[in-house]
Amino acid sequence: MIRQANAIDFWRGFALVSIFINHIPGIYFERLTHRNLSISDSAELFVFLAGWSLGLLVSSRKGELTAPGLVARLGGRAMTIYAAQILISSIALAILASAAYAFDNPLILEWHNAAAAFQDPALTHIGLVLLTHQLGYFDILPLYVVLMLAAPLIALIDKFARPALVPISLLLYVSALVVPFTAPTWPVAGQWFFNPFTWQAIFVLGFALSRDEGIGAVVRRKMRLIKIVALQIVLVTAVLVWFNWFPDPTRLPEPKLLFLNGKSFLTPMRLIQFLALAAVFSGSYAYFAPWVPWLADFLSSLGRNSLNVFCVASLLSLCGQIVRYLYTGSLPTDTIIVIGGIGLLRLTAGVSEWRDRRTTNA
Amino acid sequence: MERSSNDKRLMARRAAMLLIAGVLALALWRGASAQDPAGKPDTPPAPPPAVTKDCGEANVTVTPLPNSALALQKRQQVKILAIGASSAAMLGMGHDGNPPLLEEILERNIKGLDVEIINRSYSGELAEAAGERLKIEVALNHPDLVLWQVGTNDAFAQVPVENFEQSVTNTVRWLKDHNVDVILVGLHYMKQLTKDEHYQAIRASLQRITAAESVLRITRYEAMEVLARTMRESGRPEPRDFGLTEAGYDCMAQYVARAIAVGLFAKPPKPHATPPPTR
Repeated sequence: MIRQANAIDFWRGFALVSIFINHIPGIYFERLTHRNLSISDSAELFVFLAGWSLGLLVSSRKGELTAPGLVARLGGRAMTIYAAQILISSIALAILASAAYAFDNPLILEWHNAAAAFQDPALTHIGLVLLTHQLGYFDILPLYVVLMLAAPLIALIDKFARPALVPISLLLYVSALVVPFTAPTWPVAGQWFFNPFTWQAIFVLGFALSRDEGIGAVVRRKMRLIKIVALQIVLVTAVLVWFNWFPDPTRLPEPKLLFLNGKSFLTPMRLIQFLALAAVFSGSYAYFAPWVPWLADFLSSLGRNSLNVFCVASLLSLCGQIVRYLYTGSLPTDTIIVIGGIGLLRLTAGVSEWRDRRTTNA
Repeated sequence: MERSSNDKRLMARRAAMLLIAGVLALALWRGASAQDPAGKPDTPPAPPPAVTKDCGEANVTVTPLPNSALALQKRQQVKILAIGASSAAMLGMGHDGNPPLLEEILERNIKGLDVEIINRSYSGELAEAAGERLKIEVALNHPDLVLWQVGTNDAFAQVPVENFEQSVTNTVRWLKDHNVDVILVGLHYMKQLTKDEHYQAIRASLQRITAAESVLRITRYEAMEVLARTMRESGRPEPRDFGLTEAGYDCMAQYVARAIAVGLFAKPPKPHATPPPTR
C-alpha cells in the first residue's frame, strides 16, 4: 500500500530536486534554489528528514522491536544504503570513463575526484569499498551509511536514557568542532566532505524533534514563540547570504569552527539557521498542499522513494554536467536538462512504486 | 611486459629524482652559503632544479614566495594547501599509498624541509565557491602557500569571464593581504580545446590576473603543449591525450616543485623608489 502524500515525503522530494540541480555547477536554475537566500541547503534538510523518519519508525514500532530487532532492521537499512553507494560510485566511474573515451577528453577522468580511481586503481578501489575514497557529489550516502549504522545506538539510548540522547549528540558535535576532528580519506589524504561527527547532530535532532515526547514535545508547545524568533533569524541570514556579509574567517576567535560558516563541519551558524528555517516552514504543507495538490503528489512520490531517486539524481547530475560541457551551458540546454532530469526522477519513483505494488500483491 | 614497462618507468623516475636531487642540493648549498645573518639570500637565485627530459622545458618564472621562505627559515616546514578540481594535477599521484609526488620531490631535495600538504580539493567547484571555502581553510590550517587549480570548471560551466576574473582576483588579493603565498595552476591543454572560445577566454583571463597581481602561475596548458611536442620530437608516436594526461600529472608535480624551490630562494623584488610628487 503506497502511503498518501505527506509533509515529510514532500520536503524530502523538494530536497532531492534541489540536490539534483545544485549538483550541476553553473546550471542556470541553480540560482533559483533556496541556498541563494539561506546559509543551509538541501543537504541539511535531507539528513534532518532522515533522522525524523527514523524517529517516526521507532515510535510507530514501539514495543514491537526488541533491541536485536532494532539492530537487525536498521543495520539492514545501512547495508542497503552502502550497496547503493557502491553501485552508484561504480556507475559514475563508468560514465566518466565512457564520456572521456567517447569524446576523446581525458580531462573528464579528473572530474569528481575520480583521477585516483583511474591512476592508482588498486588502492583507490579498496578506498571506495571502505568509503574512505568518495567521488565528488557522491559523498552524502557515506554519511548516511554511518548514521544508519549508528541508528540502533541512537534508538537504544532513546529507549533507555532518552534525556541523554540530545546532550550526548551535542557533546560529540561541539567536541568535533573544538578539537577539531573528522573522518579521514584514503588513499588520497584529505577528509570527508560531510564530517560524520558533526552531521550526526542534525540527524539526532531530526530524530528527537519527530517525537511527541521530550524535546519534541517542548518545541511543539512553544512553537508560536519559536516561529517568531526563527523568522527573524531566517530573514537576517537571508540578507547576510544575499550580500555575502560574513566576517573574515581569520579574524574570528578560536575555536574558529564555532563561528565560521562551513558546510563540511556543519558549523553552528548553519545548524541554527537550518533549525530556524525548519521552524518557519513547519506546518506550512497543510496550508499549501490543497492549493497545489499536483505538486504535493509529485514531490511526495519522489520523497517516498528517496533512496532510489537520490541514486538516479546523482547519476543524472553527472550526466547533466557532461551534457552541459558538450553543448555549452545555455538557458535552453539547462531547461532541457532540468525538465528531463526531473521527469526521469518521477519515472524512477513510479517504477519503484510499481515494483513495490507487484511485490506486495505477490 | 606490463611489469617490465613499469620497472622501466620506475627506473626513469628514480633517475630523474637523482638528477633533480643533485641540482637542488647544489642550489640549496649555494643558497645557504650565501645567506646573510638574517637568513636572507644575498646572491642571485640558484639555477632552478631540472625536470625530467620527458617533461621538456616548462617556462617557470622566478616569483618569490616570501611567506613560504619565512616559514622555511623559522620552522623548516612549509604548509601547502591544495585546493581545486584535481589534486592529482597539482601534486602528482602518490602511487601505492605514498605521499603525493610533489611532497616527495621537495622533501628529498631541500634538506631538512618538512612539507605538509593539506589536500582540500573538491571536484566541480567553481572559482567563486572555492574562493569562499579557501578562506575558511586558510583560517583553520594557516598554510604558507596555497596551490589553487582554477579555471577548468569555470570554463566548462560557461561562467562569464568577468565574473571568473573578479572572483579569482578578489581571492588572490585576500590571500596576499593575509600573508599567504599563492600559486595558480592553470587550465589543461587539449588539442580539441584550442578552438574553444570560452576555454581560451578563461585561460587568457587567468594570464591577466597573474600578470596584474604578480603571482606565480603554473602553465599547465603550456606545459602539456611542451610535453606533447617533446614526445613527438623524441621520435615517439603522436601522444594520445590520455597518455599525455597520465604523464602530465608527474610533470606537473615536477613543475610545481621547481616553481616552489625557485620561489623559496628568490629575492623579493626591490621596492620601487617613491616617485617625486607631481603637481
